[in-house]
Amino acid sequence: MARDNLRMIRKSPWVFHFNSGGCNGCDIEVVAAFTPKYDVERLGMTLTSSPKHADILVVTGPVTRQVAGSLKMIYDQMPEPKIVIAIGTCACSGGIFRGGYNVIGGVDKIIKNVICVPGCPPNPRAIYSVIKKLYDNKIGGDEGNGSSRS
Amino acid sequence: MKVMGAVDLRRDKDSSVVLVSPDSFPEAIKATIPSYPHLITITAVHIDGGIELIYSFDNLRGEMRNIIVRLPEKEASIQSISSYLKGSYIYEMEVRDLFGVNFLGHPIPSARLLLPDSYPTNAPPPLLKTVSLEQLSRILDEAQRQEPPTMLTPVTGSSRYSVESLVILPFGPYHPALKEPEHFAIALEGERIVEAMPRIGYVHRGIEKLAENRTYLQVLFLVERVCGICSFHHSWTYTMAVEKLLGITPSKRAEYLRTLVAELERIHSHTLWIGLLGYWSGFDTMFMWLWSARERIMKLLEMIAGNRVNKSFITIGGVRRDVSDEKLKIILREIAEFEREFRKITDEVMSYDPLIERVRGIGSYNAETAILSGAVGPVLRAAGIPYDIRKIEPYGAYPEISFNVITGSRGDVLSIADVRVRETFESIEIIRQVIEKIPSGNPVPPTFFTGGGRDGEAIARTEPPRGELYYYIRGRTGMKTPYRVKIRTPTLPNLVLASEALKGYTLSDIPLILTMIDPCFSCEDRAIVYVGRRDPFIVKLHRTPPREISGGCTL
Ligand code: SF4
Repeated sequence: MARDNLRMIRKSPWVFHFNSGGCNGCDIEVVAAFTPKYDVERLGMTLTSSPKHADILVVTGPVTRQVAGSLKMIYDQMPEPKIVIAIGTCACSGGIFRGGYNVIGGVDKIIKNVICVPGCPPNPRAIYSVIKKLYDNKIGGDEGNGSSRS
Repeated sequence: MKVMGAVDLRRDKDSSVVLVSPDSFPEAIKATIPSYPHLITITAVHIDGGIELIYSFDNLRGEMRNIIVRLPEKEASIQSISSYLKGSYIYEMEVRDLFGVNFLGHPIPSARLLLPDSYPTNAPPPLLKTVSLEQLSRILDEAQRQEPPTMLTPVTGSSRYSVESLVILPFGPYHPALKEPEHFAIALEGERIVEAMPRIGYVHRGIEKLAENRTYLQVLFLVERVCGICSFHHSWTYTMAVEKLLGITPSKRAEYLRTLVAELERIHSHTLWIGLLGYWSGFDTMFMWLWSARERIMKLLEMIAGNRVNKSFITIGGVRRDVSDEKLKIILREIAEFEREFRKITDEVMSYDPLIERVRGIGSYNAETAILSGAVGPVLRAAGIPYDIRKIEPYGAYPEISFNVITGSRGDVLSIADVRVRETFESIEIIRQVIEKIPSGNPVPPTFFTGGGRDGEAIARTEPPRGELYYYIRGRTGMKTPYRVKIRTPTLPNLVLASEALKGYTLSDIPLILTMIDPCFSCEDRAIVYVGRRDPFIVKLHRTPPREISGGCTL
């Protein structure tokens, strides 16, 4: 599945956005990427409110203890094939909150095979270009092999 | 000039500080509330083998009164004041969670506010000085190993609800109608909401404990990330408190530049919110219009600071880089462009009948409810109370700028939207004045402050887009790290109001009413209203008799 992730998704890829305890900075930039200036919607993407309709899981935040279970469950509910993108340094590693008593520190502690987009927060242009690369099928997670960086 | 907000709490001679014993505490509170109706927050500090509680009040005109009471470290307990001031219950829960203080007569006894469900009941409260960050992490990791994280299934207590016809609907934490994780137990009678009980804390990162483990300069970058929308206000308020603690005065130009960035932040935040209002009322075009107009402001912020969101523009003693005259000219030009665009869009949407009809009279509340809940910012101003820290306790360049405090005449979604639109225009005017009056000089300190603190405490308040933000810092001589950093964000009291305002409306109004306060749960997440599965408890309804809800209801 590794490299052919998106090729296997025949429909326009839909995105489910999960805030796992971030500062809201990444979340707003993700939403901004969907608005006219960056407009990833032109690639057929849209934000969906049900994980069961989603092909891409976008996770922001350092994963607090309280949401870890929900994250796992939402990931499990998504149909195969699925792609997980960790947006922001927090989601990649815990970022500035690493070491806090209530943060687990990074999406890859819960889900394997994550594409990391570091930045605090990454610019919508960066988010756009990652999604565009994915769309053009240039990168994909290495299955079962921890995270790969974009 | 009186240094507003900076109280040398112990040495102050005026009446703004009252030290009381636990016995005379209720009298002192009763005597204070009539003239100081706004409880800003309750700050707890674990110090010298005891727990100090600082109740900070404001008379809604900028005069503060701090009531300080000292409790023993073991089995600390004190009378709850939520029967006098409804909004205090949420602060009391916060202190109970983080310091283990018991509040007698609290409407929601033994419930958690902030900590995760997996937090063992026998573990020490996290903010006590006797427990280190490493110990805490070890305890929690261990607890998690025994019980791996699972999805929380909020159990409804409908069958146990004393009124048979009520249904309790669990709402969230991840729900299509919510943009951020939070949970509500909504008690419904048919489609009508009878009671809404929030349970937040999904975004609790333990920032206050982290802050005690990092140096003064490092904390600046940490608090900036409390919230990615008002990031600059967090770093500014923190910096103000540190500067007051250490007696540092930034240059005039630095104060003007800080004001400039703060007002740009207000514009982008308000534009974002008005866009979301369109989104939640099914007017997607409005959302897209406003968010694309907002990009102009984001570009300016990026030009000034090099980053759009977490700007790291400010530093202790000044700002990190100057803004050249050419850039100031660009800001003037772009802001005029933005004003034109923004006026066109808001004229268009605010006269669009379907939108007005959708939001008029939704989530209505009056000034009294707002004050009792402790509401702040545009939410309080929409009900007609001109409570704006920029005016009543001016900081930065605000003493030299003329601007109006925008108020509405009634509290509901429409009037809050109106207040935010008018405030945006006011901010544009402020920016023009700032650029016109900005003095020359060097705003960048010669070296970054990397030192430690000194004995003392300081309070700083600002007015971010969502309302009053409050920081309290306690320092110790010879310590590189702050002894205590306490943050009170605007969403916390506003959430109490939103839960009140939901009552009487229908399920389909929930997104709009919650959006009304412009909630920012990242900011606020030091708060959870949680009730253990088997704990019977009483939810006290505002002005209605207490109703018992027992058993499995996760609030
Ligand atoms: S990476 Fe930075 S902007 Fe993103 S959630 Fe974390 S702190 Fe906020």
